Amino acid sequence: MALEDIPRLGCGRSIDRIWATIDRPPTAHEEHCEQCQTARTRLQRLGEATRLLRQSDLHDPALKPRPGIKNAIMDVARAEVRRGSSILLRSADNGTTEISEQALSSLIRIAAAAIPGVHSRRCRIEIRSASLPGEDRPSGTTGTTTTARPRLIVNLWVAAAQGIIIPRTMEALRQKISNALPACVGISAGTVNITVEDLYDV
Amino acid sequence: MSDQSFKGSLITSRLIASLATRTTLETPGVLRLEPTIQGFLARLGPAALQNLRKPGSQDGTYRQNGVPATISDGTARVHLDIATDIAYTALDVAETVRRRVRENISHTGLTPGTIDVTIVAIEPHRRATML
Amino acid sequence: MGDHGPGFEPDLDEASIVARAQDGDLAAFEHLVLTYQYRLFRLAYRMLNDHGEAEDMVQETLTTSWRGLPMLADVDAFGGWIYRLATNKCLDLLRKRSAHAVNCIQPEDMDTIPEACARAVPRGSDPAHEAEWSAEQDRLTAVLNTLPPAQRACWLLREMHGRSYAEIGVTLKISPTTVRGTLARARHQIAEGMSEWR
Repeated sequence: MALEDIPRLGCGRSIDRIWATIDRPPTAHEEHCEQCQTARTRLQRLGEATRLLRQSDLHDPALKPRPGIKNAIMDVARAEVRRGSSILLRSADNGTTEISEQALSSLIRIAAAAIPGVHSRRCRIEIRSASLPGEDRPSGTTGTTTTARPRLIVNLWVAAAQGIIIPRTMEALRQKISNALPACVGISAGTVNITVEDLYDV
Repeated sequence: MSDQSFKGSLITSRLIASLATRTTLETPGVLRLEPTIQGFLARLGPAALQNLRKPGSQDGTYRQNGVPATISDGTARVHLDIATDIAYTALDVAETVRRRVRENISHTGLTPGTIDVTIVAIEPHRRATML
Repeated sequence: MGDHGPGFEPDLDEASIVARAQDGDLAAFEHLVLTYQYRLFRLAYRMLNDHGEAEDMVQETLTTSWRGLPMLADVDAFGGWIYRLATNKCLDLLRKRSAHAVNCIQPEDMDTIPEACARAVPRGSDPAHEAEWSAEQDRLTAVLNTLPPAQRACWLLREMHGRSYAEIGVTLKISPTTVRGTLARARHQIAEGMSEWR
């Protein structure tokens, strides 16, 4: 139905067709058809004005939001930040230590950033619940410290650069993550699952 | 009120919150305290909204900079959300924070209770380049 | 955390940035805000012809996107999705406006809205030529503002923002073929309108 909607000139040519061939020399018909010539001239003028408007809007300092807008957006984002669930690292009479899933995944991304040819994407962290100690420990012995050694399962999705040797790179990535978790958090990495979900151009 | 009189001086939950904040920020490896509105709403439940309007309210909880501190029966409890420096081991930093906060609480004459620490971010230490 | 944050690699592909923002990574989201705020502003400004309203629209769209990001199934679809949010917010606002029936720009009002057509003149060329270019763009935007909102959105999305027919179709809830027809009519009307000028 829509093709019927496309405006046509008296000579039967559609505006769409004239627009599509506007950069080419006029056809034999167009050269002799007054309606086509008028339409071509007008559309050429529109095409040029469109190009200029696109350029000048792009560089016009008046056509930009004030910097406060970005700040307001980021303030909302920060206030509503998703930290994911917290993972219990240590539980004792004198208090617990937890880490947010977000802190772990950003650390994992920092580690991944050191490996060339890898762009880390989503990261999901699971804990093997069986190894989680009870949170309410009897406080019979004072000063008890239980470092919960949570068995982490890190699931990381990445995009790999075109042309890299994937198995070797992923092994390096796994190693990097396995080293970063004990060094920066103080827990062992457990299982690190890496899924290459995409390739990116370099 | 649950603020505790001790040797004639009044230790308020506000003081404990401010003490815990200062002690935490002075601990090596701590980049900042990071309160989030969601964080304390989740932690404190529906009563939190009411408390947010009345910082030094009846339940003896006071939030300095988003740090909730509670005093009851002579015991002070604190919850801290911290961001740590990637060059340090976060679990050790949290442990040092806990030890120091407890020490400083005991100097006020109160009994240090549970000091819960949540590590909300681990980041490289550097100055923000474009604030 | 106003900087580009921890672990943020400047050469990241957009899909990876979107995936991180979905995970709640603020630095990644900030990067998306910086990338899209100007484009969305230009679209909103040409739709609404009001600087303040265009800013509100940018803020609302990007805030909505932060909340909706976890629901976005395809990380490659972010651009289309954010343009769709913005376009529909503009169209909603224009519908509300026309319900109040005060702000409808009629052709005879066209030469009273020079502010709406203000722009930087390209530098380094002959002033007479520049003036003619500038007048030509004023004519274009003035005629553009006489088009019905959905048709104007269609033209802007295609000609100013280079969005695909398929994507514009999804945004405006019409088929790609209808997008093509709508565009052809928009071009025809603008071209005719410009030629009738003076």
